[in-house]
Amino acid sequence: MSDIAIMKQDGHLRREAFGWKAIERRLLSPGILIVPLLVFLLFFFFIPAIRLMAFSFMTQNTQGVIGTPFTLAHYIRFFEVDLYRKVLWATIRISLITSILAAILAYPVATVLVKGNIVTTRLITLIIIAPLAVSVVVRAYGWQLILGNGPTGLLNYVLMNLGITEVPLALLFSDTAVVIGSLHIFFPMMVLPLSSALGKIDPNIQQAARTLGAPAWKVFLRITFPLSLPGLVAGFTLVFSLASASYVIPALIGGPGSQMLGNMVEQQVLAVYDWPFGATIATILILIVIFINAVSMRLLGGRRIKASAQ
Amino acid sequence: MNNKLTGTSAAVLYAITAAMMIFILAPIILVIAISFSDSYFVTFPPEGFTLRWYAAVMQNEEFTSSLTFSAVLAVATTILALSLSVPAAFALARGQFFGRSLMKGLMLSPLIFPVLVTGLALLQLFSGFGWMDTKLKLLIAHTVVTSPYVIRTVLTSLQLVNPSLEEAARTLGATRWKTFTRVIFPQIAPGVASGSIFCFMVSFDNYPVSMWLADSANLPVPIVLYRQIGTVFDPSVATMSTIIIILAVAVVLTLDRLVGLRRAMAM
Repeated sequence: MSDIAIMKQDGHLRREAFGWKAIERRLLSPGILIVPLLVFLLFFFFIPAIRLMAFSFMTQNTQGVIGTPFTLAHYIRFFEVDLYRKVLWATIRISLITSILAAILAYPVATVLVKGNIVTTRLITLIIIAPLAVSVVVRAYGWQLILGNGPTGLLNYVLMNLGITEVPLALLFSDTAVVIGSLHIFFPMMVLPLSSALGKIDPNIQQAARTLGAPAWKVFLRITFPLSLPGLVAGFTLVFSLASASYVIPALIGGPGSQMLGNMVEQQVLAVYDWPFGATIATILILIVIFINAVSMRLLGGRRIKASAQ
Repeated sequence: MNNKLTGTSAAVLYAITAAMMIFILAPIILVIAISFSDSYFVTFPPEGFTLRWYAAVMQNEEFTSSLTFSAVLAVATTILALSLSVPAAFALARGQFFGRSLMKGLMLSPLIFPVLVTGLALLQLFSGFGWMDTKLKLLIAHTVVTSPYVIRTVLTSLQLVNPSLEEAARTLGATRWKTFTRVIFPQIAPGVASGSIFCFMVSFDNYPVSMWLADSANLPVPIVLYRQIGTVFDPSVATMSTIIIILAVAVVLTLDRLVGLRRAMAM
């Protein structure tokens, strides 16, 4: 009897597969709900992004009309002219130093965040996250006030009153200022993934190593650090990607030598009106971000495969 | 007990952590302190105490109208981003279709794409749309940038929801809509709430997209503030910043109350 019932059901289903019901089911399946956002992003994100990159291979005539012939001239110009190479180098240098500093400083903070008592943890979480909601413009202004080059900048005022320096230091409008500002803005992006990776480590492993006589530094180097790598890679990727695409920080607290690709894009488009060259710099910026994300995905993916093979 | 930090290494860790907390708070606290300074130029240390700059800023038509403009823009962005992204997140979590993980990557991609370049690409697109209102351009651009935040938070909370509850509701005869409103939504409400808060804040704070699209009749707060920093040297800029800081802290505390910060950030 049950066999007949199944056959009946089966036949019913098969008939349904060709009927209106099947089409209706298709249309009502949850997958269809992705369509509105997909169409929206297609028109206002993917197509514009691809069009912008296409501009980098086009020429602009004297009337400002952009079109054929296709050319690689903008890329050649980018890599041949000293100024542009310097900007590229400044972008990579500043993003790299910021990411490395963030990683080094995030380990202690993330460790305290994971192992500290509940009050400490809450306080640190609040202090790390709350500034994320404050506009970058406000925070860059705050750093202008701290690093101010005159004797009335906070840091200079303190240093001079402590007698550490006689004349005010020129801190603002430099690489150092941009690194400090970027570190301030992107530090949470390092601490959050790192602390979630550290939180997943079984404390018994560290305890076992300690019991067996390993000194604290060795426990960190051989156990904590390798196990925290996924968080470190994720944080590093985030900080590097975001820092390399900075605009506000270099514009407000950077000097002429610490302008980054984003500032160059803005200048080319809004001041020089050289759209194709602006698009070229933008494309190079996109490629840097895609490259670092692809590398990190490989690293994380490879680890996952290795872990599941064990 | 073995889980606790003790000894000299702990002292070092706590010292570095404390230093980092001071580093994070310093520029924000300094801005707040300067906003009460009774001097005509920004100097350290701040002199005296006055609310004069607050009175002046409140009289500043450009600033107050940009505050309203940004708030309205952020609310509109949040509504549009939610109405597009909550269904999309649902599709990504429950739908069965080809290329789902690729689709998820695509939906989240505006998050890692340089925001400045997103703005530029839209400026290029919109340059052919002379008929389009600047407000609408800003709304679209802000929605592109904020929608992945909703996808991420809603997707995470959907993954925590047990699908058998939905199946039970459906088996017992609830319609899809009723299942969504009565069974699924109450469970993902925290994710939707934190997604909305992220949307609001990211839109309200955004500079690198608005800088391409704003015009003199439609100025968001960060643009106005940026211009003031370059042209005004009295503490009124610090006062404007403080107002923005207070708003941001209020939003973060709301998020903490509603969902818990740790959970909200993990999503």
